[in-house]
Amino acid sequence: MDFDFSALLDSWQYLLGGLGITLLLSLLTGIGALVLGTALGLGRVYGPAWLRIPIVFYIDTQRAIPVLVVLVWFYFAVPILTGISFHPFWAALMALTLHIAAYVAEIVRAGIESIRPGQIRAALALGMSRPQIVRKVVLPQALVRMLPAFGSILSITIKDTAIATVIAVPELMKRAETIAGQSYRPIEVFTVVMVIYFIILFPGTRLIDALYKRVAHLGRS
Amino acid sequence: MNLDWNIVWDHRAELLDGALLTVLLTVLTMVVAVPVGIVLALMRLSKSRVLAGASQAYVEFFRNLPLILVVYWAFYVMPVLLHIQFSAFTTGLVALCLNVSAYNAETFRAGINSIRKGQTEAAIAVGMSRWQAMKKVVIPQAWRRVLPVLASTWVSLFKDTSLVSVIAVGELAHVALQIRSSSFRVLEMLTAMAVIYWLMGYPQAKLVDWIQKRFEVKE
Amino acid sequence: MTTRSERKSASQAPVVVYDKVRKLYGSFVALDGVSVQVNKGEVMCLIGPSGSGKSTLLRCTNALEAIDGGRVLIDGVPLPTDEREARKVRQRMGMVFQNFELFPHKNALDNVAIGPVTVLGMSETKARERAMKLLEKVGLADKAHNFPSGLSGGQQQRVAIARALAMEPEVMLFDEPTSALDPETIGEVLNVMKKLADEGMTMVVVTHEMAFARSVADWVVVFDHGKVVEQGPPRQIFEAPTAERTRDFLGHLGWHG
Repeated sequence: MDFDFSALLDSWQYLLGGLGITLLLSLLTGIGALVLGTALGLGRVYGPAWLRIPIVFYIDTQRAIPVLVVLVWFYFAVPILTGISFHPFWAALMALTLHIAAYVAEIVRAGIESIRPGQIRAALALGMSRPQIVRKVVLPQALVRMLPAFGSILSITIKDTAIATVIAVPELMKRAETIAGQSYRPIEVFTVVMVIYFIILFPGTRLIDALYKRVAHLGRS
Repeated sequence: MNLDWNIVWDHRAELLDGALLTVLLTVLTMVVAVPVGIVLALMRLSKSRVLAGASQAYVEFFRNLPLILVVYWAFYVMPVLLHIQFSAFTTGLVALCLNVSAYNAETFRAGINSIRKGQTEAAIAVGMSRWQAMKKVVIPQAWRRVLPVLASTWVSLFKDTSLVSVIAVGELAHVALQIRSSSFRVLEMLTAMAVIYWLMGYPQAKLVDWIQKRFEVKE
Repeated sequence: MTTRSERKSASQAPVVVYDKVRKLYGSFVALDGVSVQVNKGEVMCLIGPSGSGKSTLLRCTNALEAIDGGRVLIDGVPLPTDEREARKVRQRMGMVFQNFELFPHKNALDNVAIGPVTVLGMSETKARERAMKLLEKVGLADKAHNFPSGLSGGQQQRVAIARALAMEPEVMLFDEPTSALDPETIGEVLNVMKKLADEGMTMVVVTHEMAFARSVADWVVVFDHGKVVEQGPPRQIFEAPTAERTRDFLGHLGWHG
């Protein structure tokens, strides 16, 4: 078993470019999913029935379908339906954002519902209005509780960007495949890429855990 | 835009086979990944630093890698490493098992840890061995907390089986995409694929909700 | 230990009047025609077995729960059903909960200040000044910057009392304020409550602390199964109860005058 990393050394810039795309896609998706997911989550908990029911359906649908299917459908089917075709990066961004937002919405809902009714009663007893209670008492505590889950969403987002390879987004995974295919050295290439992914993902989760430990007491009532 | 939905009906047998293979992959993976997960959890909780360290390394490794990468890696590395040629199905299965057992290990560890130490102490005070305490007191309580998480993992796994399509395992995603390629009926096949997943996945998601409500632990 | 035999403040106007109040939870009758009056400056203790309706009555007083029959009058005016009007009424009452319910994401000072800032629109500086004075009053000025997670149960409850007082209420409602406390810390909370009583605060207290009720209350109301079985000055209730149920209840607690 001999290893030959020369192909990697020659194409390291190409690979790093892929990493850049991965990180960019992850960041944009993360932000988009957080914003959209929070809106959906709040709408789910506090919204009127005509808003809640479609939101629940949407969330449950995203929970039922694989990311791969959403990605592929967005990239190939939406252009047929609408006549607009997207660059793979944007198709992936939209598909991933819409999919992951559903999970964020569930986290938001769980966080809000975990706040004890006693807290709300105490705030009511002081004379606060419902919107004030949500803003000043429920959400601050819920946000702290959601932190670990948000951390894992970020991790999932980065991992899911690798699936964008199937619609030829030039992120890290795709570029790894390209190099592996051209150099006939899949083991070396994929092993190195494994290490790269591990290095970006591992510290992230540890950081979130540590951060959560520091602030957890702010969410404990 | 002219659509021909008959294509879906024409290929219903293949799609059904694909769907069944998806289910088979899910079931087989869980059958392996649950016991392996339990073993890993016990290793992590054991007094031996070697076992605990090995378990932790395994779990952190597979939880911090994209599954699709593990699939590709298994496909290329396993034959070289083990000098046997595996079928794509087996390779995909191995990748899924490696991945899910890591998540299960965390689930079981968290479940066992969530039982207050006092419970084990009380059991030992009565004269039970650590192992008996685990079997008779901790695990019966822990599985209530573990079940909802396992159910959730099951649904994720069910969706993740779609990733082994990249190494040409004939599950639902692969079959649907193949038909799309050969028939050029893109919208119809992709929509059919989404709908079939939805039909299988939606009830599972609802079942998970029910399980979580039913086994909810109120502190 | 002095007990008061006539109704103190009987000459004062009633602040809260419960007039044949009824409350149902589904088919369970929590309050069955309760008629009681709380006079200004009075300390009223509600006692009775668990589930007899005492806490329910308290929660109906500041419209945390809606009543199903009868009336609750605050200063002669029935409790409004409109949420916005109800909120205004709540601002005139302070409530202290069994589980303290301090907001964990704010330190003690800000917990006390949050009412004036959010509800009364007071400036943060002014609110914090007021909060500091109140924390001094309950003996916790040195803990102003501690978060609830860094306070003992008794300390948290005293902060909760300060938080309620920050709204300058006319009436203070206490829902089993010491039931969740260790015996050692119960005293520090009861002392604060006694101080409030001596200053003339109108208080309605649901409690199991009979010694407190006996020495501090001006009027005691005994509940059982959603009804008032007896009410009167502490001397009557604790030394010469007229109702069978009162005797049973107090006897159960080992209280024999």
